[in-house]
Amino acid sequence: MVAAPVLEVSDLHAWYGESHVLHGMEFVVREGEVVTLLGRNGAGKTTTIKAIMGVVPKRRGSIRIRGSETIALPPHRIARLGIAWCPEERGIFASLNVLENLLLPPVVAPGGLSRAQIFALFPNLAERLSSQGTKLSGGEQQMLAIARILRTGARILLLDEPTEGLAPVIVQQIGRTIRKLKEEGFTILLVEQNFRFAARIADRHYIVEHGRVVDEIASAEVGPAQERLVTYLAV
Amino acid sequence: MVEILGVPAPALFGQLLLGLINGAFYAMLSLGLAVIFGLLNIINFTHGAQYMMGAFTAWMLLNWFGIGYWWSLLLAPLFVGLTGIAIERLLLKRLAGLDHLYGLLLTFGLALVIQGLYRNEFGSTGLPYAIPAELRGGQNLGFMFLPNYRAWVVVVSLAVCLATWLVIEKTRLGSYLRAATENPTLVQAMGIDVPKMVTLTYGFGVALAAFAGVLAAPIYQVSPLMGADLIIVVFAVVVIGGMGSILGSIVTGFGLGVIEGLTKVFWPQASATVIFVIMAIVLLLRPAGLFGRAS
Amino acid sequence: MRRSWLFAAAALAGTLLTLPAAADFTGGKVRIGVLNDQSSLYADITGQGSVVAARMAVEDWGGKVKGVPIEVVFADHQNKPDVGSNIARQWYDTEGVDAIVDVPTSSVALAINEITREKNKVFLVSGAATSDLTGPKCSPNTVHWTYDTWALANGTGSAIVQTGGDSWFFLTADYAFGHALERDTEAVVLKSGGKVLGKVRHPLNTPDFSSYLLQAQASRAKIIGLANAGGDTINSIKQAAEFGIVAGGQNLAGLLVFITDVHGLGLQTAQGLILTESFYWDLNDSTRAWSKRFAERMNGRMPTMVHAGVYAAVLHYLKALDALGSDADGRAVVAKMKEMPTDDPLFGKGEIRVDGRKLHPMYLFEVKKPAESKGPWDYYKLKATIPADKAFRPLAEGNCPLVK
Repeated sequence: MVAAPVLEVSDLHAWYGESHVLHGMEFVVREGEVVTLLGRNGAGKTTTIKAIMGVVPKRRGSIRIRGSETIALPPHRIARLGIAWCPEERGIFASLNVLENLLLPPVVAPGGLSRAQIFALFPNLAERLSSQGTKLSGGEQQMLAIARILRTGARILLLDEPTEGLAPVIVQQIGRTIRKLKEEGFTILLVEQNFRFAARIADRHYIVEHGRVVDEIASAEVGPAQERLVTYLAV
Repeated sequence: MVEILGVPAPALFGQLLLGLINGAFYAMLSLGLAVIFGLLNIINFTHGAQYMMGAFTAWMLLNWFGIGYWWSLLLAPLFVGLTGIAIERLLLKRLAGLDHLYGLLLTFGLALVIQGLYRNEFGSTGLPYAIPAELRGGQNLGFMFLPNYRAWVVVVSLAVCLATWLVIEKTRLGSYLRAATENPTLVQAMGIDVPKMVTLTYGFGVALAAFAGVLAAPIYQVSPLMGADLIIVVFAVVVIGGMGSILGSIVTGFGLGVIEGLTKVFWPQASATVIFVIMAIVLLLRPAGLFGRAS
Repeated sequence: MRRSWLFAAAALAGTLLTLPAAADFTGGKVRIGVLNDQSSLYADITGQGSVVAARMAVEDWGGKVKGVPIEVVFADHQNKPDVGSNIARQWYDTEGVDAIVDVPTSSVALAINEITREKNKVFLVSGAATSDLTGPKCSPNTVHWTYDTWALANGTGSAIVQTGGDSWFFLTADYAFGHALERDTEAVVLKSGGKVLGKVRHPLNTPDFSSYLLQAQASRAKIIGLANAGGDTINSIKQAAEFGIVAGGQNLAGLLVFITDVHGLGLQTAQGLILTESFYWDLNDSTRAWSKRFAERMNGRMPTMVHAGVYAAVLHYLKALDALGSDADGRAVVAKMKEMPTDDPLFGKGEIRVDGRKLHPMYLFEVKKPAESKGPWDYYKLKATIPADKAFRPLAEGNCPLVK
């Protein structure tokens, strides 16, 4: 039994000005899966996420979210299809306090987490609601960035390097959170450099090189495929 | 009689109050400029012309359609705001992401065109607009005669400034606005129609200018050039307050009105330049402005 | 081949035939430059109206002097002496302009006065007010036509002191014109037995006068003299009404009020104002006829005295050129203008004095009440006519170096 695809990317190209960054990305994410994009720096992982959200200057190809084509839609219409983005730089707003940051993204579908559920998941945030958003620690900011998209009812989450630069104990906490979200049925596309972290929580991995997918490895085969992976990811 | 620096104290109170009244106009205009600059990153030099359009719209409503002051307070900002929306959609939108300079040149050019058109049609002397009957006359405060209309101007502009500040700082809409000022891309990717918000914000800033114009119509001559000189002062107010700072523009607007008022007593010849001297000093000591965040 | 030689010879002969006349008119044409405020606070008082008036004078003269075409050009000096000076130099040096006309804003006019003297051209002043142009700064190349600060002070100032307004407070525009008007009026007030209780100088183009008005109010002077012009005067008068200055027993004296200012203020606010002008469209049949033609070209707007002065000065200038047969020597042209008596439909018969001052009557008007006005632009009641020999500063008192 294979679940229905909720995110289908095919022949996706993207440009920043003159530079052609994505050269025909192809991959599929199915309902309830956690899928990672792995690859070296500059391979085009973050650009892929941004292209899905429609925030790159120019893109071409096809991106279907739950069956509807989004390549021509503006970002705010894409978000309304129930997809949410947690950017690499976290995007916590300095002119908003923690509560305002949390409540900022509008609800796009029913079924989002309630405030109580969010505070149960991220107890630290509850204590700092009136602090300025950027006064939080890096780990807290990351939690806030994830927490605020859980409120919106979006069921497809794009997480861009959520563990980057964080202490191991925080990384573990984020790992637990992602697993919990998977149990709740969220579909997650994860960009990671930290392969060991990714291997523990993802179902499948796509290897990205020079703006296209060059290989696909299921978590079950990670052991046998170790050598391939090392070649791909070695700097 | 008590004297302060050679000026009788009651006269000084009077001058302080007058400064506050002029500051009300600075505050309202610089507030609109600050809101627009924050979100659009455009220094809206058309602001003075739009203030003038507000006053003229009130005049046209009265003389061509018999619609009085009170309705004008509502209709003129609405109408001028709509023209602002058209300007944003047709022209300013194309400049998104470019250097400040392009927006400044475009809006400055637009201001000249608008002023030229009005001057052609109405001449440069301007036209009279009477104070509404309900607000004629004044109160003798003991230290000065305060025209009712001026009192109304201070009260209503304080209310408008306060309301705008509350909306921006304390409401959900305001948090969208502040967030979009910082990172419009991310806010749009959250599902908020940022382009529409930008358009409406410009419309609102312009409407605020037009509202100030209607308030000004009975005090100053309704003339095509009424905004041209004011905009330079208001621009200085925004710079002193800190580009894009809402609270900064309100406080600085009222504050500089008072300082200018006092200059008119002690050294009248310098009253046109005092604000620019302050601007120079502030820029030297705090380049981001009094309330601005250093980036 | 032979034919083309013939053509060339004929053409050359033709040129030679017209040469004597053309040589006396520099550039083969008479070019008159109207230099004034085209876009700011004095644009209605001077502006395009002065250009129209100059063109009307050229047309009424017939378009040519001694067969040489006459051209009118114009420019905007933005009320800035440096801008005005640059335009004047360019006009005189490279664009063949023979005479500059109008030039409101006294500080600009004083600059043009010097440049015109240096280049030996002709300067016909209508818009500027300072009486220094025919006083210490007088020039053999300049004619000051329409009015000056002394005439305004003499007309309005002495009329007001005589009716009991004997203590004054001045609201003065802080530049050459305001200073001159204040000085001349103060002299008249003191001479007539009044006194001056105080003065405040405001920057040109000030929107808010309330602060100054409050100072004037505190002085308890009977008369607040407005030594300013245009939008500044309008806003002073408007805001004085708002602050209950007139209701409180003090009176305003607009020392330089033009009919366009009254139009801008509306009779409701302007009524009762006393003012001095040298021209009003409704003075007599010939002023009415000319003004009607002017208004037809100006979107229904009636001429100010500055417009009338431009028309009459240009007309007299062309008469002098015609008599002289040359425009090459500015000093000679102005000397001719002074030698010939003036006669035009707007100011009647008159003369130009040796110091450059044009003499004609000045009129003391009172602004009508709304009920007295029969329609748009019916604004003035004539209170007194000041004859030409009394209207302007006596020749001996001006300290003009040309007067020996």
